[in-house]
Amino acid sequence: MESTTARHLPGGWQGAYCQPAMTWSAESSDEELMLHYRDGDAAAFDVLYARHRGGVYRYLLRQCREAAVAEELFQDVWMKLIRARAGYTVQARFATYLYRLAHNRWIDHFRRHRPGTVVSLDEEEGEAPFDPPDERERPQDEALDTRRQAARLMELVAELPVAQREAFLLQQEGGMSVEEVAQATGVTRETAKSRLRYAMSKLRKGMLEWR
Amino acid sequence: MALNERDTRDPRLERLYREAASEAPPAHLDAAILAAARRDVGARPRSLSTALRRWQVPVSIAAVVVVGVSLVTLMMEEGVDRLGEIGIPPVTAPADKPVSELKQAPPAAAATGAAQQQVESQARAEQEASRDDSKRAVDLGKMEATSPRTGDSAANSGMGAAAPSPAAEPFPKPLAAPPLLAQERAATAPTDTVTASRPEAASPAPGERRSTAPATDVPQPKIMARAMVAKPAASDRQPVWQGLEKEPPEKWVVRIEELIREGRTAEAEEMRAEFKRRFPDHSLGRAAK
Repeated sequence: MESTTARHLPGGWQGAYCQPAMTWSAESSDEELMLHYRDGDAAAFDVLYARHRGGVYRYLLRQCREAAVAEELFQDVWMKLIRARAGYTVQARFATYLYRLAHNRWIDHFRRHRPGTVVSLDEEEGEAPFDPPDERERPQDEALDTRRQAARLMELVAELPVAQREAFLLQQEGGMSVEEVAQATGVTRETAKSRLRYAMSKLRKGMLEWR
Repeated sequence: MALNERDTRDPRLERLYREAASEAPPAHLDAAILAAARRDVGARPRSLSTALRRWQVPVSIAAVVVVGVSLVTLMMEEGVDRLGEIGIPPVTAPADKPVSELKQAPPAAAATGAAQQQVESQARAEQEASRDDSKRAVDLGKMEATSPRTGDSAANSGMGAAAPSPAAEPFPKPLAAPPLLAQERAATAPTDTVTASRPEAASPAPGERRSTAPATDVPQPKIMARAMVAKPAASDRQPVWQGLEKEPPEKWVVRIEELIREGRTAEAEEMRAEFKRRFPDHSLGRAAK
């Protein structure tokens, strides 16, 4: 699994004062790379894309659960980033900016293909009915392999409510803090934190049998 | 804070998730996106501001040079044209001028010569005019000084201009003549002579003509000079009392009164002086005084 982006600017967040360095390297921050790409350096974009391609793709894949749709949305997100490069300024961490684009694109798709569905992420704040693993299907062997544990975790993630799943995915794939999750999804910090807590709680309970 | 962190994070779950989540976009999608990114950069090579910044100084220098050279060339050409219009040859003539061009030069040189002649003749005419004025002033003074003997040509011809006789003392000195000179000049305007001798009767004053007349109008200053010279000299003028020499003093008085009535005070004064000289025993009437 490629490393996904839990990068922070050295010396703290500089916000709009961040300027691109004269040269960049593979260790340069996302924001520096994006600024270089904005100024016409296509190679900087290659590095940036390599850092975030997997995370964005998995975020979309887990949200829409169809590979074809995920690919379409994935391409749309990156094309939007490319088109917006000339006007890019450093307002927040690049990952937040990128996943915000992905979030908006997924919401658009969700509303278009399920017009009757109200995407009220707040309504999923409450405890969703948690379906504990069936004791009869529980393998007798205590030494289950990691592969099966991972498969079970993926099942549990897929069963999470949309908002909680999104918060969890942004945290894991985007390497975001609670604040950044809130910023990317457009909710308050407390809401984002609540979603993350519920998601973690459900996953822990679901994986209890493997502990 | 630690409690909050524990609520929202689980290292074991996160490690398990990272091991499980290994999906990646297909290679064709990567290629398409990277190509689009390069295409976008290639279509708009760097931002406009960057390109402008790079070429700002050279383009500015080039523009200044082009504009400067154009202006200098234009001004030089216009300057040569203007010099040609007034007939002055350009300051810098090429040393290696072809013979054919040199042969074509005479008309221009002739025009130049004519213009120079015109300028010289104008200056000469002005000098003559001023000299004439002063001469006329002296002559007038002389005439007035010698007027008692007018008619006595032998005595008149023998008088020196620079040596006024004691008899001239009661008369105004030559320096007092200018009022009479001005009147005379007004009465005998040179333009009349000029217009009489020239077909363009309604032509403007000489000063105006000089500014608007073509450069080939060379004779004009000469005519002016001639006109200035052709002004009637004070010595040539008939005396006011002409025809009254043999008349009795009463007629003189009548004539003086006429002159006073007509406002010709200078002439009246002149005649009065002559009257006193001729008829010292007669007194002028109140009207004649």
